[in-house]
Amino acid sequence: MIRLENVTKVYEGGTIAANDVTLEIQKGEFVFLVGASGSGKSTLIRLMLRDEPVTRGRIWVAGKDITTLPKWKIPYLRRSVGTVFQDYKLLPNKTVSENVAFALEVLGRPSSAIKPQVEQVLDLVGLSDKGDRYPRQLSGGEQQRVSVARAFVNRPPIMLCDEPTGNLDPKTSVGIMKLLDRINRTGTTIVMATHDHAIVDAMKRRVVALEEGLVTRDELAAGYEQRVPE
Amino acid sequence: MSRFFFLVKEALTNLRRNALVVAGAVLAVFISLSLAFGALVVNEVLRVNTIAWQDGVHVIAFLNDEGTAGVPPGSHQTLIGAVETWDEVERVDYYDKNDAWIEYQQIFEGQDDLLDIDPTILPASVRIELVEIEFHQSVQFRLEQQTPVVRQVNTAAEEIEQLENLSSVLNVLGLGMAIVLGMSAVVLIANTIRLAIYARRDEVAVMKLVGASNWFIRVPFLLEGMIEGMLGAALAVFTVWLGSSRLAEATQSFALFRLDVANQFFFRWGLLFLLFGAAAGVIGSLLGLSRYLRDAEGVGEDVPAGV
Ligand SMILES: Nc1ncnc2c1ncn2[C@@H]1O[C@H](COP(=O)(O)OP(=O)(O)OP(=O)(O)O)[C@@H](O)[C@H]1O
Ligand SMILES: [Mg+2]
Repeated sequence: MIRLENVTKVYEGGTIAANDVTLEIQKGEFVFLVGASGSGKSTLIRLMLRDEPVTRGRIWVAGKDITTLPKWKIPYLRRSVGTVFQDYKLLPNKTVSENVAFALEVLGRPSSAIKPQVEQVLDLVGLSDKGDRYPRQLSGGEQQRVSVARAFVNRPPIMLCDEPTGNLDPKTSVGIMKLLDRINRTGTTIVMATHDHAIVDAMKRRVVALEEGLVTRDELAAGYEQRVPE
Repeated sequence: MSRFFFLVKEALTNLRRNALVVAGAVLAVFISLSLAFGALVVNEVLRVNTIAWQDGVHVIAFLNDEGTAGVPPGSHQTLIGAVETWDEVERVDYYDKNDAWIEYQQIFEGQDDLLDIDPTILPASVRIELVEIEFHQSVQFRLEQQTPVVRQVNTAAEEIEQLENLSSVLNVLGLGMAIVLGMSAVVLIANTIRLAIYARRDEVAVMKLVGASNWFIRVPFLLEGMIEGMLGAALAVFTVWLGSSRLAEATQSFALFRLDVANQFFFRWGLLFLLFGAAAGVIGSLLGLSRYLRDAEGVGEDVPAGV
């Protein structure tokens, strides 16, 4: 579903944020990207979204080499990848329903088809009664659920999440993780960057650890820290 | 089609929800286009008045009464017949002693002490409109030869000539002003709308992240800019029209200088200014958006050295 081949990213100024990263993620997998601050987690996610160009190497997302993708096709890439960020990235001048609907509007869906889909996904994230509110009228956890709803509403094959629980308290974080887990069980591939030991340890999924842009560990059904050999 | 409706609705909703920023942009358009349009109207007033002066009576010859020494009956008509044949003359009107008295009464209406005169002392006159204002000296000279019928020749031609020169200078100035103000209006409007977009650059980034194409993002912003530009322009045209027509009404009694401008002028130029405002709004939106719509290359072009 996602393949990185010798991907190197050097920012202007010389920081090496990804260093010859090779990674293959299968359809339906749930992958945690872990590592200290500045290790390059966000960078990998931005590269997969073609938000930043790679310096060297190749990235395939949903079967397409996105490093050779013409610019006008970038919106199509983004439509097949749902995104969730630490800062929610909701449109402040749109209501909850409108924010979620926007992901379908860009596809050119008729409004008759959009309405029931939005209602359904708001129901899934438990916000059916708050569709008319503006983001500023919601708690952080609720805003993040809107963001998840928007990412998932058009059933993308892939979701990329950059510290989706970064601004939330542990209890609210669990709620978001349950949501992502449910979405993952529908067959959606999820890649999630996180600092949160408890979540990674509890979920027991594949963990890719980064250190200064290098992949230092890639383990299935793992925890945040490397298992100490007994 | 549904997408088009969505984008129009989107623009209108954004206008409503960003009322303060919108008001600022409309105000900027309004002020700058009012100035430009005002300059244009002043220019038009000058043009109309110059034409009016050119059309007026340029030379008046006061005549000695028929029946006095050397002026036999019928000599007034003889003079008129002669003057009418002159090439420099466009039109001749004869005012007899009675017309002179009527005019006198009109001019000094209400000033009883001045009206208490013997009407027969007022002379008859011929009033001459010239083909070209420049001919005034030769016509004056030719009239003064016509003694003893002609008593005295008055002409405002020299003053009119000066006014005309002044007016053509003012005309150029006014037009130049309208152009300069119009251009600064475009810059100001474009900049205001650019700022408004700058304030919403994060929204643009989010829309791109969700998979909106550049045109999908652009269209509502363009419509917003267009509507703001047109709204401001319409306000400016209306205000200048209102101000100018009120001013014209208030100064109706100045016969010398007419301030009224044809509604047709307002209509024609008003439409043009609407287009102008709309164009400035669209340009501002395009400029403001361009940098936030840029996409990343697939592979970085310049790999820093040593990697
Ligand atoms: N746009 C940029 N320009 C230059 N350097 C950058 C840029 N973005 C990130 N970096 C650098 O690249 C490195 C990796 O950053 P990145 O944001 O990927 O780390 P991260 O693992 O997501 O960190 P955190 O856990 O704090 O979010 C850091 O050293 C950072 O300073
Ligand atoms: Mg990060």
